[in-house]
Amino acid sequence: MSRLRYAATLLILVALIVGALPSSPAKAQAPGPDEKTLVIAQSQDVQSLDPPQVGSRTDDNIVSHMFATLYEIDDFGNIVPFLAKDYRISEDGTEVTFVLNEGLTCHDGEPLTAEDVVYTFKRAADPANGFTGNTPGFVFASVAYKDARVDSELEATIVLERYQSIALGLLSEVHIHCKDSYEKMSLEEAQSNPIGSGPYKFVEWVKDDYLLMEKWDEFTLRDPYFDRIVWRVIPEASTRTAELIAGNVDVITNVPPDQHAAVNASGNASVVPVEGLRRIYVGFNFTDNFQSECADAIKKTEVRVALQYAVDVPTICEALLGVPCERATGLVNKPNDHPDLEPYPYDPAKAEELLDAAGYPRKGDGVRFECTLMAGRNRYLNDVNVVQTICQYLDDIGVKTNCQLMDFRAEFIPLLVNQQAGELFFVGSGGGNWNALYEMADFASENSNPNYGRWSNPEWFNRWRSLSNIRDPQEERKVVLEMLEVFYNDPPWILLYMQPDFYGVSNRLDWQPRRDERVITFNAKLK
Amino acid sequence: MGRYLARRLLQSILVIFGVTLFSFLSLHLAGDPTLLYVNERATDAQIAETRHRLGFDRPLYEQYLAFMGRLVRGDFGKSLVTKTPAMELITTRLPATIELTVFAMLLAITLSIPIGLLAATKRGTPYDGGIMLFAIFGQSMPSFWLGLMLMLYVGLHWKILPISGHVPLLDPLLAGDFKTAIGNIPRALQHLIMPGVTIAMFSLSRNARLIRSSMLEVLALDYVRTARAKGLRERTVIIRHAFRNALIPFVTILGLEFGFLLSGVVVVETVFSWPGVGRLVFNSINQRDIPVVQATVVFFSLLFVGLNLLVDLIYARLDPRIRLG
Repeated sequence: MSRLRYAATLLILVALIVGALPSSPAKAQAPGPDEKTLVIAQSQDVQSLDPPQVGSRTDDNIVSHMFATLYEIDDFGNIVPFLAKDYRISEDGTEVTFVLNEGLTCHDGEPLTAEDVVYTFKRAADPANGFTGNTPGFVFASVAYKDARVDSELEATIVLERYQSIALGLLSEVHIHCKDSYEKMSLEEAQSNPIGSGPYKFVEWVKDDYLLMEKWDEFTLRDPYFDRIVWRVIPEASTRTAELIAGNVDVITNVPPDQHAAVNASGNASVVPVEGLRRIYVGFNFTDNFQSECADAIKKTEVRVALQYAVDVPTICEALLGVPCERATGLVNKPNDHPDLEPYPYDPAKAEELLDAAGYPRKGDGVRFECTLMAGRNRYLNDVNVVQTICQYLDDIGVKTNCQLMDFRAEFIPLLVNQQAGELFFVGSGGGNWNALYEMADFASENSNPNYGRWSNPEWFNRWRSLSNIRDPQEERKVVLEMLEVFYNDPPWILLYMQPDFYGVSNRLDWQPRRDERVITFNAKLK
Repeated sequence: MGRYLARRLLQSILVIFGVTLFSFLSLHLAGDPTLLYVNERATDAQIAETRHRLGFDRPLYEQYLAFMGRLVRGDFGKSLVTKTPAMELITTRLPATIELTVFAMLLAITLSIPIGLLAATKRGTPYDGGIMLFAIFGQSMPSFWLGLMLMLYVGLHWKILPISGHVPLLDPLLAGDFKTAIGNIPRALQHLIMPGVTIAMFSLSRNARLIRSSMLEVLALDYVRTARAKGLRERTVIIRHAFRNALIPFVTILGLEFGFLLSGVVVVETVFSWPGVGRLVFNSINQRDIPVVQATVVFFSLLFVGLNLLVDLIYARLDPRIRLG
């Protein structure tokens, strides 16, 4: 009877499963690298191929190859023309008019005109579409987007609520898509049927496996070397490394430090370190959400300055990140940072001296005060070890620090955005090298979300508000430098480092990764 | 029979209800998922608007009732991330998972029988010791580690098998493309071996130990001694007399094997970049894509509860003692 039960179980199971399966077009295997095929492995699959819905770096890498932007930020942080050949800003600074190149076509074969540009902006801004990606969620809020209009076949104007000196750079993040095709598609269809405007055209997406794109020959503004790009999804870091070493992929991101030696010794690939732009720091929580001696202490500038001297950042970089680094002096990356500020040195004796002077001497048990430092796990390079090391450094000067590590997305982020992530919190923030203000926008207001600790220094925020009235770049730079000094002298963060990035690159490839974590391969070629 | 059927149906409904409630609560009690669907620089107003649009500002019981209301109409909801129907996401990945699970099941069954038999018939010899050592090792090592080791040595160093990836077999078959399906078989098998072995290793080891102990028990029984006394060949005694009875406990646990192996695919699909339901669940949990996680949990619960119900009904039809029980 048991065998009968088993046979019946199997039969029913097979019937149920086969009945539930869809009859879809047959899927193929991910193509491998060849003379004209580049294979890139990322840890996550793309979530959406609809440009206004794109919000993650992995999605952006793929979409940026299929959809062009009006201007683009090049590998060196310069804002250069792309679909648009020129732009002008109205006298009051609230209108940016782009002049498109002639003869552009969408991947559906239709001419790409100002109408498509305006459609792109209006579609992304339409609340009925409910988009939450980078364009509506960040760019439009940052530039104070108001409207868009067609001026002529090749001229489109973007209207802003107020002048914004970094508007051009921010608008360079908007991927242009084509009206005719998108008007015919539902939102659901647009998720997986991209009709692009860029150098590569979508071919196939096998979910959780790979995405294939081919060179769009009618695109004349760029001439990439590779005819095809395959974006493979390989979630596990060790598997990505193994595939790179075996020669099955050309580029992988985020090679863990413990695998660098294996990659470099393989003879097939090398680890290329890049001075990344992501700012890694320990933030101070200035809210009254915590009632503790630590919460009171860190409100004092002299205590926060003292804690800067307690952490040996160059040693953390060498020992835990695998590369030397220079300690950050603020929240702005080179070359836009303050050139005259010196990184706080590692000087625990001075830290203790300053804490004594601030009224926090060591007590009988050797502890001055006790803090909680919260952090997400496995989000940034070797973050668990970095956090534990920082806690030890703080312990060493008598600031007893309880390290609490937790799941980054599910636990830490909700605490962080609600200012509940301890008196101290370890986090990273994406940066840019094209304008200081882009990075300083983390502190656009006392209550802006990336101002996780709710720092409220009036010397900073008064200057920030004054920037909207300044048109002269030199005067703007002067204010920026003043603000960076305020940030340095009254630090809302324990300043750490700009996160290095490690790319695994096949030895057959001639390609230099960018600093901003974007994988753009228009200039990649075989050696 | 009617009362039995009614009782079993009621039990099944309660199980499904319990599963939906548990999965719903466990996902919502971990905090507000809205923050995962907005940009890190989103304003409070944008966060509030997104929370409202996703329905997370409604009381939990309302959200649950709405979910159940849709569920009884066969609507599993749409992914919060991709906006596509959750059931479509599951069914497009299901063939890859079935390929892997069925292959692992075949490995676990077909290899464990000769291994277990050999250990039992060679009891106390180095064969037995070696097999039992292998079985304990197979049950002890984590599948994550085994997968990485296979990948490192078999895939990378010895280059015997592909490191990761998937060649579809069921997909072309379901699409009616038999030529492609047949042509894919050799490469599909190559890709199946390492993840299949990784998933099957625990079951294979457990089954081998089970068959060994069961055989040893049966071999000591009187009827086996009688068979030998009759002058039957040892092979006949083992295969035709002892083995058939020794299989009973083994066959009993096979009913649960498919479900057990399915639970192992989450880790293995991630390690081997296998585009199946396990990866979907893993990613959906990470992204707190609640409709997809719920749909997956409910889908598999329905599948197994339905399956068990049907099997029990067939059982009851064939064996009156069950109805009386």
